[in-house]
Amino acid sequence: MERRENQTPQGQIARVLVEFLEVAIASVVFLKGVYPSGAFERRRYMNVVVQRACHPQLRYYIHATISGLLPFIQKGMVERVAVIFFNANDVPLEKFVFMLGVNLSYGSTVEEVDLQFSLRSFLSKLSISESLTKKLPPDSRWEITAYFRSLPEAGTSKEANLWIPSDTKQWQQPPLITPIKSMNCEPLCLQLYLEHPCLSESLL
Amino acid sequence: MSLDSFRSSSAPNSKRTLSFSNSASSIRSNDNNSANNKRKKMKTTATNQKTLGVAWGSNSSSSSRKPPFSDFGSYMTEKNRKLHNQFNAEASTSSFSASTSGKPIFAGVSIFVDGFTVPSSQELRGYMLKYGGRFENYFSRHRVTHIICTNLPDSKVKNLRAFSAGLPVVKPTWILDSVASNRLLTWVPYQLEQLPNNQPKLSAFFSLRNSKMSEDTFTNALCQVEPDIEDSSARVGNSKDRYSSDVAKVVEPSWQITIEADDVVSENTDAIMMEEQLTSVGVKCDEEDPVGGSNDAAKDVMNFQGELKPNNEEPSTSVTSLCSNDQNVNEIASSSSTRPSKQCHSTLSDPNFVENYFKLKFGICNVQSSRLHFIGTWRNRYRKRFPIPSTGFDNEISNINASTVSGNAVVIHVDMDCFFVSVVIRNHPELLDKPVAVCHSNNSKGTAEISSANYPARSYGIRAGMFVRDAKALCPHLVIFPYNFEAYEEVADQFYSILHRCCNKVQAVSCDEAFLDVTHSKVEDPELLASSIRKEIYETTGCTASAGIAGNMLMARIATRTAKPDGQYHITPERVEDHLSQLPINALPGVGHVLQEKLKTQNVHTCGQLMMISKVSLQKDYGMKTGEMLWNYSRGIDNRLVGDFQECKSIGADVNWGVRFKDMKDCEKFLTSLCKEVSLRLQSCGMQGRTFSLKIKKKRKDADEPAKFMGCGDCENLSHSVTIPLATDNVEVLQRIVKQLFGNFYIDVKEIRGIGMHVSRLESSETSKQEKYNLKSWFTSGSASMEKQKHPIGNGHDKQNMDGTSVLESSALQGSSVQMDNNIQDNQASADRISTPPPLCHLDAEVIRNLPPEVFSELNEIYGGKLVDYIAKGEGISESSSSLRNSLLEQEAINKKEELLDVEPIPQKNPLTKIEAMQNEAEGGEAVPDSGSGPSFNVTRNSSFEKDDLLPSSLSQVDGSVLRELPEDLKAVIVQQLPAHRRQEICSNVALVPPNENLQVALGVKNSENPGSTHVLNESLWAGNPPKWVEKFKISSCLILKKLAEMYYKSGLTSTLSSVLYQIISEFHQLNLAHQISDDSVNITCELLKQYIKVKIGKDIEEIYICFRLLKRFAAKSHFFLQVYNGVFPYLQEAVDDNYGGSLLITR
Repeated sequence: MERRENQTPQGQIARVLVEFLEVAIASVVFLKGVYPSGAFERRRYMNVVVQRACHPQLRYYIHATISGLLPFIQKGMVERVAVIFFNANDVPLEKFVFMLGVNLSYGSTVEEVDLQFSLRSFLSKLSISESLTKKLPPDSRWEITAYFRSLPEAGTSKEANLWIPSDTKQWQQPPLITPIKSMNCEPLCLQLYLEHPCLSESLL
Repeated sequence: MSLDSFRSSSAPNSKRTLSFSNSASSIRSNDNNSANNKRKKMKTTATNQKTLGVAWGSNSSSSSRKPPFSDFGSYMTEKNRKLHNQFNAEASTSSFSASTSGKPIFAGVSIFVDGFTVPSSQELRGYMLKYGGRFENYFSRHRVTHIICTNLPDSKVKNLRAFSAGLPVVKPTWILDSVASNRLLTWVPYQLEQLPNNQPKLSAFFSLRNSKMSEDTFTNALCQVEPDIEDSSARVGNSKDRYSSDVAKVVEPSWQITIEADDVVSENTDAIMMEEQLTSVGVKCDEEDPVGGSNDAAKDVMNFQGELKPNNEEPSTSVTSLCSNDQNVNEIASSSSTRPSKQCHSTLSDPNFVENYFKLKFGICNVQSSRLHFIGTWRNRYRKRFPIPSTGFDNEISNINASTVSGNAVVIHVDMDCFFVSVVIRNHPELLDKPVAVCHSNNSKGTAEISSANYPARSYGIRAGMFVRDAKALCPHLVIFPYNFEAYEEVADQFYSILHRCCNKVQAVSCDEAFLDVTHSKVEDPELLASSIRKEIYETTGCTASAGIAGNMLMARIATRTAKPDGQYHITPERVEDHLSQLPINALPGVGHVLQEKLKTQNVHTCGQLMMISKVSLQKDYGMKTGEMLWNYSRGIDNRLVGDFQECKSIGADVNWGVRFKDMKDCEKFLTSLCKEVSLRLQSCGMQGRTFSLKIKKKRKDADEPAKFMGCGDCENLSHSVTIPLATDNVEVLQRIVKQLFGNFYIDVKEIRGIGMHVSRLESSETSKQEKYNLKSWFTSGSASMEKQKHPIGNGHDKQNMDGTSVLESSALQGSSVQMDNNIQDNQASADRISTPPPLCHLDAEVIRNLPPEVFSELNEIYGGKLVDYIAKGEGISESSSSLRNSLLEQEAINKKEELLDVEPIPQKNPLTKIEAMQNEAEGGEAVPDSGSGPSFNVTRNSSFEKDDLLPSSLSQVDGSVLRELPEDLKAVIVQQLPAHRRQEICSNVALVPPNENLQVALGVKNSENPGSTHVLNESLWAGNPPKWVEKFKISSCLILKKLAEMYYKSGLTSTLSSVLYQIISEFHQLNLAHQISDDSVNITCELLKQYIKVKIGKDIEEIYICFRLLKRFAAKSHFFLQVYNGVFPYLQEAVDDNYGGSLLITR
């Protein structure tokens, strides 16, 4: 309790958000079936059933990446966090985009219960969103990419140095967007949507 | 539909026939839900049957081949029957096992839990089991009385009646709170706030607090206070989440409860002798000085009874002697009258007394409760008699400090000589030099203890705490007197009158003992003063007193030791060391026999020897505090100040005499009354505690029956403790905790010889008191909380600015006071803001009329009864004006705003200097952009938060650049709120501002490409509640538009377009009949959608996605919607591209 009181609402939000993203990304990866379903175990988070990676490396990748974002989310620098699935040629096929908006000037305390309630709906919606997604070809891979509003200056902090500019291939055309879930629970606005390459491009 | 057969199929109501497909959809979702349940249940039932089959298979083959149910309906009937049987069976066992825990507060309540709840439905079922309610697994209108859920899908909200069959839909907090307060609370404030029809405004208002609390429901439950007889009103104040409407009801029932409880307790004590509660000492102070508590007289009687049994060696005669004793009977009779005094006992009593108590306790495990009672209550009497000095101390402490430091402090310790005896014999001069003792029993063979003995008796070796029979053995002609409490009181009062007359700094230690700080009194010679005091005491009371004079309290007391009897002694600073060097260590306060024994092993017997040991090694051997204390005391150093009030560290009660239990039931009863006692002690101290420890004295295996009748004998001490998150003094919480703690012991109740309960981590109950129990105090307290809130809001951190329904909007722009619309947060915000009830004219008659009666009557009271008239008057108005906004009231609000405008907003003192600078810069404006972060902005409206806010009436006061920075919805509202004739003006003004890519969008004054519909273009269709478009469409000639407006109301005023469109689905066939489609109506619908996109695109793309998917479906069937869809689609994609860098993929 005391620990929480000492925090700014943004810090608190960021912590909740990071934890949530970790779970949600694991769920996305599970959903896409990149790994055999045996690589995941059922867990309960925010009172909904979620999937958690069993493999320590996989778990670590998700955990480390997302918790590495914590300071930046706190500062409101992270605009989007995307889980990108590539085919064997490293061409992105599908992106699960979490669009974050943290109200930095929000002053009062955050009701974590309210927040959880909203976040929970993401997880439940996510678990039934398979039909929206496209089947991945074999040999596909995936990564977590964060889109920053501005590039953190290298050398300003240790965390910033951990991040490198991404050389992810971009689509030539604007993608098609399929929203999955949106929430706006002050001071956090979170939206999850799918990006697919537009039809002409996918034919290439 | 076949599924419906198990839900009460007779339920269909008029609503369902009215809108067939609506209810169909709701049923679908409902069925989904229950079907889920069912699947699970079916599985379990199936496995059950399987196991049954296996089990029975050997002897009854027919059971395993039971024919399948003829149809689903009969299956469900059977299943429901089984579930009921199960529930009943469980209920009966649980009520049996937890006989006292579950009072059937939910009798007559039968709940149906819908969907996901916190706590889970199983927990709720558990509560129902425990507290006499019923739990339905399947909904039935006939059996269910309340539906419990935390969230409803939209479809159910829309068709609430179809879903709930008119039953209340309540949040689970209701159950938790009811359990917590141990009575059935009214469900009204707990209604689900999603529900549109039942005065959503106020109930949402309530339920928000509720949901906020829900996180801590359990802890709050613990702090919920059951009002008690003696100070019910004060205690109601302690409960945190009481609802205003409940207060009056809260008090009464609990009165009854406590009275009942009281009865039970007194019965107990009367009936069961072994429940004697020699509750000993209650409070522990800083220095481990437990401070006197007392006991109620009823328990005294038991003590008498116990003592009056001749003794334990002759059990056969005990009964007769018990009955033949008149005194005993009298005492019982009087007990009822003295009982109430129990509550007055003060647990804040003196450390000295407790020392005595511990001296008494040498080797024996008990104390005369009657004396304790006297002393305990005496403190309270003393407080009443001499209230001023005690407060005076606080002011003078600094002086005292100074004098102590300077080293010339003079403290006199005055102590009556063998108070209890000398008071009794003051009228018997012939006994003056005879050995006399005070004891409650004169039985020469009894194990009653000598409470006090005079000096002649002491010369025979008679000591306090000795058994009478031993004393008689030492001195056969010892005269034993019973207590004479009236006399004690009288003498003590006289004693303190004298002391207070002579000195203004008196610290009472006990009824016969006090410290005086005479440092600053004008008396030159403290010895002279002491002797005059002693003389006066003797003359007034006929009893002698001794006095010790020294530089501090420790030495003064040690001096008194030397001075006794009937003398005085002055230890000057020079003589301190001499005096101490030969002083036995047990003369030091804080050195008990354990410590003494330990020191003895180190060959330390006197303070002089103690002085030889270094502080470090003392601290190493005896702990930091004790070590330091020993070191200090052995040198005569005492930093305590006269009148220094020591804070309670723990409060509790111990009973270790006469504890014998036959069975668990006895024990439970005892624990219950112990909790009551402890709770009372807590309350009388105004304290609440978080840590509760239960100590049990358990007879050692090899221990014999103790020498002392009913004593505890040789015991091992066991203890368990628990800490809860929120401090409480609630007796029921205590009982629950104690029961739980007791469960941890796994002890045979027959082996228990003593039980004590202590509460620590005390917090003053004042701090946790909050007065939020009626609307009025809510309003007033709102202003206080406002002060706190102002700051963050002033800094522009207001979260509500971010969504469409901001504080600004509600308090400033919509202005008309009790605007309990929009979202909940808003409601709370605006309500908090209302420090005084809003003017009558600002009330929304519609809202008021829909208030629950009790709330209404309370509000009416606040308005001095004018509310009724107002509502009656308003009846006519409200019919004609569908929106309050357009009414005269609105005009008045605007006028007010204009007045207020003259007052320049004063920028709040702001920690962020950057913002402050900007604020100053823009002082003239009403809003300041916060350049730091794009979407957020700063609004300075500090001076005007109360109810109405200022709105610029003329454009000179609107800073275009500021306006531009505002979020679009807000901007739209501002523009809309301006009086109509000014609207044009402001628009043009804004247009003068250098163009901004979002300006048009933001303003909500988009210039449409369709010149045909200019009449709507200048305003935001989505502003307000209900949104503007609803009214516009309602009066439209186009059927579709009319339908849209109608659907808006049907959809439950949620103000999301998707919900409206969902509603449309059901009546789509009607819409197709409408052939006349004017361009105007298409245009205005396009406009509506575009504006909706504008509002939602940034934050809620999902909503837009849903809307357009629906539109696309409509477009396939309706030409009108096709036109609309095609008209808006490019705009939509443009907006999506701007915001998300892609295009929306709309599938059907």
